[in-house]
Amino acid sequence: MHKTITAGEPLVFRRSAARRWLQRVDLLFYALLVTAIGAFGYYLYYYLTTPLIHGLSGNVAMEIYLPFLLQHAGLTILISLVSMALATLLGFVGAQGRLASFPPARWLATIYVEVVRGTPVLVQLLFWYFGVAQVLFSLGFDPYNALFNLMTILQSNSLVANLDQNVVDAFFWGAIGLGFNYGAYLTEVFRSGLQSVDSGQREAALSLGLNARQTLRRIILPQALRLTLPPFTNYFITLVQDSALLSVLGFVELEQEIGALAYPQNDTSIKLFIFVLGALFYFVICFSLALLARFLESRFAKAYRG
Amino acid sequence: MDLLMTWLPAFLVGARNTLIYCCISFPLALLLGLMLAEMKNARYVWLSMPAKLFIEAFRNTPIITQIFLIYYGVGGVLTASNLAHFDNAWVAGVACLTLNYAAYEAEVFRAGFLSVERGQSEAAYSLGLSAWHVFRRIIFPQAVPLMLPTFVNDFIYMLKDSAIVAVISGSELTSTLLLATFRNPGNTLPLFSLALALYLAMSLPISFVARYCERRLRAAF
Repeated sequence: MHKTITAGEPLVFRRSAARRWLQRVDLLFYALLVTAIGAFGYYLYYYLTTPLIHGLSGNVAMEIYLPFLLQHAGLTILISLVSMALATLLGFVGAQGRLASFPPARWLATIYVEVVRGTPVLVQLLFWYFGVAQVLFSLGFDPYNALFNLMTILQSNSLVANLDQNVVDAFFWGAIGLGFNYGAYLTEVFRSGLQSVDSGQREAALSLGLNARQTLRRIILPQALRLTLPPFTNYFITLVQDSALLSVLGFVELEQEIGALAYPQNDTSIKLFIFVLGALFYFVICFSLALLARFLESRFAKAYRG
Repeated sequence: MDLLMTWLPAFLVGARNTLIYCCISFPLALLLGLMLAEMKNARYVWLSMPAKLFIEAFRNTPIITQIFLIYYGVGGVLTASNLAHFDNAWVAGVACLTLNYAAYEAEVFRAGFLSVERGQSEAAYSLGLSAWHVFRRIIFPQAVPLMLPTFVNDFIYMLKDSAIVAVISGSELTSTLLLATFRNPGNTLPLFSLALALYLAMSLPISFVARYCERRLRAAF
């Protein structure tokens, strides 16, 4: 069908009827979305205010679950930070090793990266906790006693005397396992970051009389940081998620606490609710970190454009 | 050595099951991921918003939380209401791996489609091709080679993440490893080494393939 175009009449491409109809479904969707959000809120409210054991008053889920979950979310964040610090250290050393001119250092770093990146985190954590820890324990090493002795030397062992030995051991080996695993990923991140800085920069700095240390600290690192920060924050988010695996080692962090609250429930819908609530906790932590990562990325992209 | 020889057949069966988990879940994840990517790109909010919510929800929660939620939470409710019954971990494991990886693959697809220059589809439209034809003949063939190395890498990630099925006793390599360590609590290091070696034997060849793809790709451009 041809439309004759007369002068003065604006040329308008009409959307087809089907497309207009589909556009209208959007409005319906918004209404549905609001309903769904309201329903989800009511779902949370309903189960948080339901008495856990029928017949007892005041024994509501909100008072019992939320403090526990918040406390253990704090532990999750704590062990993630400790592991990330360790991973950063290992990654930095590993990157220096991969870029070293001394071949054995290069081989060692390559083997580290390939082996760690080729095997599951879960198996590595089990390996550290049930393999290495047991061998060292039979040889007389125990993280709790080591910590206790260290604090005794510092004359403040009352700080750690009340800690549970199993918790300290699981924390120690969990942090080592996660740090060791993410160290390998960060090795590659730092390596590509360091390699991305043009070699002319290093040459110019050295010819201006800066020594190797100053060159690294003042010239290379500030430029490499821009490229490494976005993947670094992304790996931190995955590390927070992988710290949930420590529940398998018996370390009582958020995931373990969710299970401990959920398994004894006989009512399956309360059980499901606790799992949903726990997932929500992780979502809040990780999503806020993801927003931070996106913000940093856009900031750095802006700085790069000049 | 005796210990390793007695457990080796069980470990090999576990490794086979790991591969089965991945070979079922990964194509399903690709399919769902493609659908999610197309939905997220749609101009209608009722298509794009659910896809966005799905992707954010699955990318921002640990896979172990998801697997517990699906197996004990959803599975429990389904059993209680006589809708379904989980006899073993296969359904929950495959469902969890599929849903989780679909969220990641959706982003890969989206990035791949975006990397095909806009002028290509504009030219195709102006030649009179329909939207389906533009996607099928112009965008998809150009985007796939770009996405291939990422897919291979993600397959390796799934191979490693499938270890998580062990927490619901999923009869794959890590489950076998756990069983073996519980039977021999005094002598676990050889068993761990065997499991780690088997995982390496599965993932290293695939990562060489990925690197080969990447090199070919770099040569092509």
